[in-house]
Amino acid sequence: MSDELVFMMGQFAAKFPVDRRYAKNHMWAKAAGEGGAFRFGFSAYAVRLLQDVYFLEWTVDAGTPLREKQAIGAIESSKAESELYAPMPGWLTEFNDGLLSDPSGINVDPYGEGWLFAMDGSGETLLSPDEYLVHLAASWAIAERTIKGQINEN
Amino acid sequence: MAKKLTVVVSQGQSANPVKRKLEEDLVAALLFERGVEVTVIPHLYDLAPEGTGMLCLQSIAGDMVVLSWLFPRAAHWTLDRNGIRGRVGTVLLQSEAEEDDGEEDEDEEAADDKPRVAASLPAPNRTIYCLDLRARGEVEPFVAEIRRIVAEASVQTVGIDLLGWIQGSPKPEQLNRYLNPGSANVASTPEKQPAPVLFSPFTLKPIDTAAGGKPANAAPPNGSPSSDTAPVGAESASDAAAGPVRVEEATARRWYPVIDYSRCTNCLECLDFCLFGVYGVGGSETILVEQPDNCRKGCPACSRVCPENAIIFPQHKTPAIAGSPDGSAGALKIDLSKLFGAPDAMDVAVLERDVELVAAGRDAVGSTVGIPKRQPQKDRGPKDELDHLMDQLDGLDL
Repeated sequence: MSDELVFMMGQFAAKFPVDRRYAKNHMWAKAAGEGGAFRFGFSAYAVRLLQDVYFLEWTVDAGTPLREKQAIGAIESSKAESELYAPMPGWLTEFNDGLLSDPSGINVDPYGEGWLFAMDGSGETLLSPDEYLVHLAASWAIAERTIKGQINEN
Repeated sequence: MAKKLTVVVSQGQSANPVKRKLEEDLVAALLFERGVEVTVIPHLYDLAPEGTGMLCLQSIAGDMVVLSWLFPRAAHWTLDRNGIRGRVGTVLLQSEAEEDDGEEDEDEEAADDKPRVAASLPAPNRTIYCLDLRARGEVEPFVAEIRRIVAEASVQTVGIDLLGWIQGSPKPEQLNRYLNPGSANVASTPEKQPAPVLFSPFTLKPIDTAAGGKPANAAPPNGSPSSDTAPVGAESASDAAAGPVRVEEATARRWYPVIDYSRCTNCLECLDFCLFGVYGVGGSETILVEQPDNCRKGCPACSRVCPENAIIFPQHKTPAIAGSPDGSAGALKIDLSKLFGAPDAMDVAVLERDVELVAAGRDAVGSTVGIPKRQPQKDRGPKDELDHLMDQLDGLDL
C-alpha cells in the first residue's frame, strides 16, 4: 500500500500512515480541524516498544501551556514504563478520557480510537513521515541497545 | 537483663484510612511481641528539627527498627541528619518487585573506589533497621521480619554488653541502671523525660562532632555501647502489653533534600548549583543540608545535578529521586523515558531552578551559574596556541 511507510524493527514491520506528521518522541500528530489544533497518539514504533499498555496517567490538566519535552504524564505496559513528554510546545486542550479507564485502546487502534490528547500549537517542529523514518533509522541502534542493555542488567 | 528493641512506627502524612489501618494493626500486633517497645511518631520526614518527635527519637539508644512510608535510604539519612545515627541494618523484607532482582546488585558498589563521606565519619555503635511500609499490605510479614531482627539484635547486644563488663568500665549511670533496673523506667513518654537541653539543629550534626567541633552533648550519644538502657525502651518484660509511646507533634509538610553519605563524595556540586542557600559546609569541610527550609517546595533540581545520585527528596514522585534502592526503580521493566523524549537531567535541573528563581522574584540564570564543567573529551583534541602557552608557563618552574 502506498499510504503508509514501513520501518523494520528487527522482524517486526512497524507501519506509519502518511496522512499525518510525527514527533521525535514517537507520537503521531494529525491536524484536527482548523488552525493549529493537533490530535496526538503513539506511533506503531512506540506501541511495539511498549506492548500491552496497562496504565496511563496525566500529570497536567487540559488548558495547560506546555514547553517542548515538559513532563505531562506516565505510562506503564507489560514490558516497559516511561514518563511522557510534550511532543511540541503549545497548549494542551483535551485528553482522550476513554483511555484512562481502559488504556488497551492504544494497542487496538493506535492511529485512531487510541489517540492520546489534543494540543494547539504551530506544529513547526513536527516531522514529515519521511523525516520520521530517517529519525527512526538513526536512533534504532540506540533503542536496541537501551532495550537489550536494560534487560541484561536485570 | 533483656533489652528491648525499639520499633518506631512513622505515620503517613495524610490520614489515608488504608495506611492508618496498617499502622494501627502493626502497633496492636507488636504490643504482644516479646522484646519489643513501640513508639508511634508523625511522618518522620516532616518532624521539626527540635520538635518533640525528634527529641524522642534522639533519646532512644540501642538498636532501632523504623517503619515508615519512605524508602529505607530516605528514612535512614533523615535520621542521620538529626543526630540519630546507626549502621544500616540489613532488612530481608523487601517489596515483592525488588525481591526478584536480588543478588546481582551486590558487586556493583564494590567496583568503584571513590571515597565516600560516610567512611570519614565515626562508625556508629548501633544498628538502625529501616523498613518501607509500602513493601507489603498486611501485618504478618512485618511482624515476622521484626522477630528476626529482635533475634539478630539480641545476639549482638550480648556481645557488646559482655565486652563492656569484661573490660570493667561500666559508666556510673550504666551501673546504676543495671543494679536498679526499675529506676530508669520512669520516663516512658517523651513528656516525662529529663528536660532536654535545647539545641539548634546545626549543633547536632554528626559532621561537627566528627571534626571535634562543639560536641553535641545535648543529644544522646550516637548509639554508644554505654547507653544500652534507654529511657524509652527499657521497660521490664512483664509489661509486654503496655501501650505504645505516642508522640504528638503538629507537623506541617516539609520539603528539603536529604544527603546519603554512603554515596556522597563531597564534590560540592550541589553547593554550587543551589541558589537558595540550602547547602553549607560543616566543620570538617563536609557538605551538609544547612538550611533545609530554604528549599523550594517541589524542586528536586540539585538531586539531578548530583553525579553520585546521593541527594534524596523523599516525597518526590520519581523513585530514583525519592531514595529507591539501586536499580529497583522500575523493577523488571524497561524504562523507555529516554527514547520517548526525556530531556537531559541537567537541562531539567536548570529549568526547575529557573522556575523557582522567578517564583521567588529573582532572575532566571539558565545554565550560567553553578554548572560543573564536564569536558572529559577535551584533552583528546590537538593542542591549540593557548594550550601551548599554558604548557610553557607550567614548564617555567617559577
